Amino acid sequence: MKMEEMSLSGLDNSKLEMFSPGAQAIAQEIYADLVEDSCLGFCFEVHRAVKCGYFFLDDTDPDSMKDFEIVDQPGLDIFGQVFNQWKSKECVCPNCSRSIAASRFAPHLEKCLGMGRNSSRIANRRIANSNNMNKSESDQEDNDDINDNDWSYGSEKKAKKRKSDKNPNSPRRSKSLKHKNGELSNSDPFKYNNSTGISYETLGPEELRSLLTTQCGVISEHTKKMCTRSLRCPQHTDEQRRTVRIYFLGPSAVLPEVESSLDNDSFDMTDSQALISRLQWDGSSDLSPSDSGSSKTSENQGWGLGTNSSESRKTKKKKSHLSLVGTASGLGSNKKKKPKPPAPPTPSIYDDIN
Amino acid sequence: MNKDAQMRAAINQKLIETGERERLKELLRAKLIECGWKDQLKAHCKEVIKEKGLEHVTVDDLVAEITPKGRETGFAMLPRLVLSSRTQAILLPQPSRLLG
Repeated sequence: MKMEEMSLSGLDNSKLEMFSPGAQAIAQEIYADLVEDSCLGFCFEVHRAVKCGYFFLDDTDPDSMKDFEIVDQPGLDIFGQVFNQWKSKECVCPNCSRSIAASRFAPHLEKCLGMGRNSSRIANRRIANSNNMNKSESDQEDNDDINDNDWSYGSEKKAKKRKSDKNPNSPRRSKSLKHKNGELSNSDPFKYNNSTGISYETLGPEELRSLLTTQCGVISEHTKKMCTRSLRCPQHTDEQRRTVRIYFLGPSAVLPEVESSLDNDSFDMTDSQALISRLQWDGSSDLSPSDSGSSKTSENQGWGLGTNSSESRKTKKKKSHLSLVGTASGLGSNKKKKPKPPAPPTPSIYDDIN
Repeated sequence: MNKDAQMRAAINQKLIETGERERLKELLRAKLIECGWKDQLKAHCKEVIKEKGLEHVTVDDLVAEITPKGRETGFAMLPRLVLSSRTQAILLPQPSRLLG
């Protein structure tokens, strides 16, 4: 059948005459036999259909035939529907009673009702962020170790500015995130994902000071942001850090870990109690961050170290080794170098305060 | 006459042996459906059945009514039918050889 076929009319004209008339007759008889066989087969089918009852199934009454007739009008498809009927239609949202375009209705409803994959993602993100905020405020004094690189202090200021509409997790965001990295991070500088620096203009003086006592704080030239790494971050030198602190806090401000002599020059030596209490309060944030993994015991020792250094300032001038960072070795070394060990009185003072 | 009958029988036999006859039958059925021959015949059937009444139709009735009509209309279709070259090859050289 798939081979070349010649029409029988062509055959009639050319080849059938090659047959002898007898042959033609025979061919016609053969064909007649075949046709009769087909007829018989057809009769059997019809009879079976009649007896089984499905013979008249494909007949329909003329009324319903008219309903489903093929439509042939311009602007309609064969079912009679208009092509872009739903483009301009507007639906009223049952939740917020707003009128929304039909093609935008489904995503709007998803967000409006709070169901669907994307809305749950947004909600989870918001929860996580608000948890981060709450956590950072409450644990600022205790968990400074953790916050070396995750800057979230003062993020309560930015809570209102946070854009809840734009979801960085949604599939439509991919392009904008790639190209506009700087812009996005400006709007939300306290998100760890987008930036590693702080914009110092928005911080108050108190926050600045605490920031500078815990973090590097050196302002990067091209982004104009403060470095959020630790006080010993390798990217910036101590000189840079000191410059920043002087710039922000006045000439008296220095690195927390540098000579305590400079630090103490500004304090009244007579008011040692106030000094101690003040050191304790500020020192709690000073001491822990660079003291990675140190426990509370070493913190106490660090305070002792602070007072030690304050009392021994006239005797010795120490470089950065003498730091408020409390390590046992540091304390030990200090004790060795001082003529009189002031250790006995200090623990009692601290006991009272503690 | 005898020769014709002989020839006819021989050709028939040859067709059946090679399986050509079955192929021809299927081919013919397909072509008849295409031409609409079957639908014509079906319409005729419906009339017959409506005449006779749905419950009392028998195979013999149908056959008797429909076969003649089918044969007539089938012959009318003959010019439009297509013969494959293989079938032609079988039909063409037969007469002389078979007779001989």
